[in-house]
Amino acid sequence: MKVEHVNAFYVATQEVFKTMLDLGVEKGELRIVEDMVSSKDANVLLGITGDLKGSILFGFPNDMALKMVNIMSGVDMDKIDTFVSSALGEIVNIIGGNAVTSLSNYNYMCNIAPPQIIVGKYKSISMASERSLLIPLNTEIGKFDVNIFLAETKNED
Amino acid sequence: MMWKERYRIGVDLIDNQHRELFRRLSSFIQVVQNEDPWDQKLDDVKSTLNFMQEYVVYHFEDEERYQREIGYPDYEEHREAHAKFKEEINEYVRLMEEEGFTEESIQELAARLMTWLIMHVGKADQRIGEYAKSREGME
Repeated sequence: MKVEHVNAFYVATQEVFKTMLDLGVEKGELRIVEDMVSSKDANVLLGITGDLKGSILFGFPNDMALKMVNIMSGVDMDKIDTFVSSALGEIVNIIGGNAVTSLSNYNYMCNIAPPQIIVGKYKSISMASERSLLIPLNTEIGKFDVNIFLAETKNED
Repeated sequence: MMWKERYRIGVDLIDNQHRELFRRLSSFIQVVQNEDPWDQKLDDVKSTLNFMQEYVVYHFEDEERYQREIGYPDYEEHREAHAKFKEEINEYVRLMEEEGFTEESIQELAARLMTWLIMHVGKADQRIGEYAKSREGME
């Protein structure tokens, strides 16, 4: 995985969090993990196809997920229902769209699949046997994870 | 309160309409999310949705007219984004009319409306404001 590929998703996450939630996002210590597991309460899985193929998994803890939707809607949320999970799915979809646009500037043409929302912890969803990169991210309203696995399908010239 | 000062673009006509749009969207979300039994609130859900949809159309027309008036260079792209969004919502509502207004499908729609509008007003519409300001500077 190249730095610019991973960075495209990190930068898109920062931008979308700023625009939609007025929140800054800071990167923690990157780790390599063996398995892509939904380790948080609300997880959104984004499939990438095209010149890069793989998955990006966003994992949000319960309180943070509720707070994010509260910031956007102005309404207090007390559980992760379809409204909350769909809103998280939409945010990730926008992040994915922005990341794919910025990847196209490096001449990597990719598409995103509609995000899948997984509510509940510890459901392994890895389809790739390869290791993925885990980026812990900090915001004022909580910490969340982004798990990235991307493989190049494009032949280098 | 859904409306936030950072959504302001500095054009009163548009900012006032955005405030109203967010106010209507907020009442729709509040009805969808309150604890009342679904059967009892379905009429309210439909009427607040309708109330908001009507305003979306009205506002898009005014905003597009304003863009033409100031000669906004990205008018066509912006108009297309509005058209696509309207079409998507109409299609969503049409499907629900056929298959039933379930709580899940309405919650999904509410989430889509909310995130689209925040992103659109928070980003695309800001550029209208920036252009309007730069134009004032030239006159």
